[in-house]
Amino acid sequence: MPLPNTLFNSAFQHQRLNWLLISVIAIMVYLATFAMTIEAALSLLTITWDQSVENHMTVEIPALGDETSMPQPERIKQTLAVLHALPDIQSTAIVPDQETAKLLKPWISDPELAKSLPLPTLIDIEIKPGSFSSAQSIEERLKTVVSDASVDDHASWLSDLLHLIRDLTFLAAFMLFLSGAILFISINLICRAVMATEKDTIELLHTIGATDNDIARHFQHHARRLSWPGALFGFALATLTLGLLSFALKYLPAASNIPAIQWFGLALLTMMVPLVAVIGANLSARFSVLKLLHNMP
Amino acid sequence: MLLTLNHIGLRYNQNRAVLQNISFSLAPGSFHFLTGPSGAGKSSLLRIIYLAEKPSEGNINLFGHDIAKMARHELPALRRQIGVIFQDFRLIPHLSALENAALPLRLAGAREDYIQRHTSELLDWVGLGDRLHALPSSLSGGEQQRAAIARAIVNKPKLLLADEPTGNVDEESAMRLTHLFNELNKMGTAIVLATHQQDLIQRLNKPSLWLKEGRLIAPFPPSAKAA
Repeated sequence: MPLPNTLFNSAFQHQRLNWLLISVIAIMVYLATFAMTIEAALSLLTITWDQSVENHMTVEIPALGDETSMPQPERIKQTLAVLHALPDIQSTAIVPDQETAKLLKPWISDPELAKSLPLPTLIDIEIKPGSFSSAQSIEERLKTVVSDASVDDHASWLSDLLHLIRDLTFLAAFMLFLSGAILFISINLICRAVMATEKDTIELLHTIGATDNDIARHFQHHARRLSWPGALFGFALATLTLGLLSFALKYLPAASNIPAIQWFGLALLTMMVPLVAVIGANLSARFSVLKLLHNMP
Repeated sequence: MLLTLNHIGLRYNQNRAVLQNISFSLAPGSFHFLTGPSGAGKSSLLRIIYLAEKPSEGNINLFGHDIAKMARHELPALRRQIGVIFQDFRLIPHLSALENAALPLRLAGAREDYIQRHTSELLDWVGLGDRLHALPSSLSGGEQQRAAIARAIVNKPKLLLADEPTGNVDEESAMRLTHLFNELNKMGTAIVLATHQQDLIQRLNKPSLWLKEGRLIAPFPPSAKAA
């Protein structure tokens, strides 16, 4: 840098301005880290659920069918035979009765009562990737041997939930955008304030032949110097809050059905936030100063 | 010609014209006083010459370049060939005399050893050899003005503009500054010295550009205008 770094020190080292810039960046990084984590966690959840239901369907064979002449094991055997004969079926797996009973747990808490009920037999089927078989077409084939068999497509169960998650992901992305916008506006206002204070110095620098870039570089230097502490403080605070939240989630019964999230990957991703904030502050300072200088003669 | 102004006018918004129809030329190595009563537009005219202000009318040809046709990023190279001395010195308060005077050389990308050597020699020449590392607040008015002069000439400018340079200094410092300007002019630097001090104009006996209510009435013998 050709000019001394201390050129605009008197304005930038003003205690209130220092704290204002550090606080704004800390708050923005805190919110952005939160938004980023929520965004990434929800995206991961969507992908996990999407993958788990994408090629899976469940065949249900009621325990009390209308073909009283045919026992349940025979009905299952015939169903499996039809399924194995279908070219689009990759694999089949009979869901154990205990697992089926667990599905009733929210409604029937007494395990003995659940055991006494005539539980249907569930067969989990995996469709070959790229296959166009629908639940309806498979069901039609099964009904030729077991007339009351039905097929459920998992995707249709989860579609509403996935829509909600996707909406939340957009909301998190919007929060992230908002944090960036507020950061930009704050830096712009701070640059305006400093430029107003240092008007004579800026005019002097122009007079002695400084380019707009020479002047902007000094604002960038101060933006970097002040944004690092703010970014790191905001990130540390957000990490602490997220750590506490994830700890609390373990004790929420409703959270047991949420697939495990790769916290390490998420942590790596969110570590980008303070770095991006510092780069953002740096670029905002440059853009703001160049824009303001452009209006000067 | 070093500088040619053609029909320059300056008006802020819809207000009264600050400058009207100013036309003159300066040859390399010339020395002119720019004089007139307070509020006549001397500082505004200097600001136009050192490209801190865009004229509302007319055009400027500086060092052979038509300023109106130049892009913004081309102007700093021209400004580096002009030295400016302000009445209020405009030294940066937290930089030493040496650092203040060295600013134009740093902007020009000069080597550090050259900056240190050349700036120290120059400050010594203006009589500040023992105050190199003093902050402006610890310098007297005359010393601050000499530090500002060192900054203005450190780049060996073709044109030196001084706005009331002796306005804020005592009589002895004013004499010393006048001598400095004469010496610089002898070395080939063209000088425009804005002042309303008639005794200074008479002492140096150089041509004057007389401004009155934003108009140039030139050249008048200083004694005639003083009367």
